[in-house]
Amino acid sequence: MSSPDRTAKKTAARKPAKKTAVAPPVARDPSGAQKVALLKAMYDGIAPGSKAAIKSAAKKQPAGKKQMAAKKQAPGKAAPGRTSAAAKGTPAGHKPSARTASKPQAAKQQVEVLRRIPAASQSVESEASRRARALAAEIEKALADGALDHLQPHAVQSLMGALCKFYAANYDMGERYPVVAGRVAVTGTDVMIVCGSLLKAADLQVFELGMWQSWAGR
Amino acid sequence: MAEQFVGKASEFKDGDRQIIRLGEDEIGIFRHEGAFYAYSNFCLHQGGPACEGLLIAGVEERLRPDKTSMGLHFSEDRMHFVCPWHGYEYDMKTGEQVADRRLKLRKYNVVQKGDDVYVVA
Repeated sequence: MSSPDRTAKKTAARKPAKKTAVAPPVARDPSGAQKVALLKAMYDGIAPGSKAAIKSAAKKQPAGKKQMAAKKQAPGKAAPGRTSAAAKGTPAGHKPSARTASKPQAAKQQVEVLRRIPAASQSVESEASRRARALAAEIEKALADGALDHLQPHAVQSLMGALCKFYAANYDMGERYPVVAGRVAVTGTDVMIVCGSLLKAADLQVFELGMWQSWAGR
Repeated sequence: MAEQFVGKASEFKDGDRQIIRLGEDEIGIFRHEGAFYAYSNFCLHQGGPACEGLLIAGVEERLRPDKTSMGLHFSEDRMHFVCPWHGYEYDMKTGEQVADRRLKLRKYNVVQKGDDVYVVA
């Protein structure tokens, strides 16, 4: 072979083969039938015994228990004294469904308590707290009835002053809880009006409130 | 359908919940205002533990006779429970999903015989 042929062969061997780019598969929207099937499945919910129910039950369990659950799902022996359908023989033409095939046949269902979730703890109420809540309920009812003159201004001033001092004193001592909670709901407008009036009563400006919050870390 | 014993009524305080497994079903049993309710513990959304989340009253907007709003309040008679995974909210008395009442958790009947509580499943 002549030397130019050899060099041509060597250079051809050294050159890497050209890679042709493969276009990625185009994602297609699900068909109308697939969308309808998905909606139907959502409305039906997750049926017990189905693959989805087993999957979600497995997700909830920690890793150690998953192995135990996998062992438990293996078909168990029928209770003594009872003959299974397989031993009797299925009637001609009968096709057992996937659901019935997965459930243990003629086995007594046992209730297994997984978790007990107690009710939220309720503290014992003092007499003063009980009276305060009764007054609050009375004020809410007057508001609902539109009786805005139910409390006279001097009574409102006494209540607001006492509550402000009481809440601030507890806050300073570390007893911190949200100022409104439970079934009482205040609107943004209510908050703006009351905060503005409280600041005015103490001759404070809004920027001073901001400065205090940033300095005090609150 | 058989009645399955789940516990004593005296062990269930108001507001307590119990999650049980019955075969391949997980069922959440609530006691609310003296009555028992039982629903499937598989959320309709993605199979989360629907009965193990927050209990919260329904939010309603109260109106004055002239139709002006008095603001949002918690309902006195509607209690909901919320799936902890993605927040699907269900009505305690019916099991209906609050945002779309056509979606409904599977409900199980609860029978009380004396102090014994049974779930029909």
